[in-house]
Amino acid sequence: MDEAFDVNDCLRRWKEGDEAAAEQLIEHLYPVISKIVHLHLPRRDDEKDLVQEILMKTFSKLHQFKGDAPISHWVSRLALTTCLDRLRAQKIRPEVRRADLTPEEADSFDAAWLTGSTPDAGDAISARDVVDKILSTLSPEDRTLILMVDLEGRSMQEISDLTGWSVSKIKMRLFRIRPQLRQMINKLEE
Amino acid sequence: MNEKMNFRADEKWRNLLARSAATFAGNATPPYGFVTATLARLSAEQRQQEEFERIGWRALLASVAALFIAATVTLTLNYSDQRGDFEPGTRSLIQMDNIPVS
Repeated sequence: MDEAFDVNDCLRRWKEGDEAAAEQLIEHLYPVISKIVHLHLPRRDDEKDLVQEILMKTFSKLHQFKGDAPISHWVSRLALTTCLDRLRAQKIRPEVRRADLTPEEADSFDAAWLTGSTPDAGDAISARDVVDKILSTLSPEDRTLILMVDLEGRSMQEISDLTGWSVSKIKMRLFRIRPQLRQMINKLEE
Repeated sequence: MNEKMNFRADEKWRNLLARSAATFAGNATPPYGFVTATLARLSAEQRQQEEFERIGWRALLASVAALFIAATVTLTLNYSDQRGDFEPGTRSLIQMDNIPVS
């Protein structure tokens, strides 16, 4: 991200009606929002619409931004909340079985033992679909949490800052999710 | 045995995430036409917001004006009632029977 980007100047110009400033803000915030949407929502959800929706929310709430923290933190929190709302609207699968996987997904699941192999684009997509199917059995909060820990490698404190959940609540959730994940993976092996 | 199964499941999960990691990465730049479409939606929403505010102000002014008129009428009627020598009920009887007062 461009460190030289002056957010406050951009906000001031936007409030004065400068459309170029809004354009700069959109370009500045797009990667931050896109990253969160890509990470937390299933692959087939319409990413473009959701990023736009988050940007609209950002602009409508910009007057609440105090400038104490970088704008990217503030927007990340807003984006995460919106993703969680979107996930809450989706149905949680009770479980996922081997028969629910397509042949490509089943191959990808089996190939996940081969740690050394580098997947091609197709394998990566199939692996992602398997991951999405496994994650669809978790609650939106658990799903979000496990991705932040296992994929992004975020610390408990970072997650707490971003979600507003306490560190003990996060630890408790993780403690509960792990056996659930293991059970789901073992079921896919059957 | 159970521990071994847990270890295998954890390992498999980690590998699945590693294999799919590329699909989780976001885009660094918006797709073609995204910024223009977002700006258009932003200005449309701003226009709508301003329109709602205008309608709100007009409704508020109309309510205040209606309240003012109602208060004026009430006060005027009350004032004219108070000016009579008789109670409103008595005055109605006088008017009904056409009794000369003075």
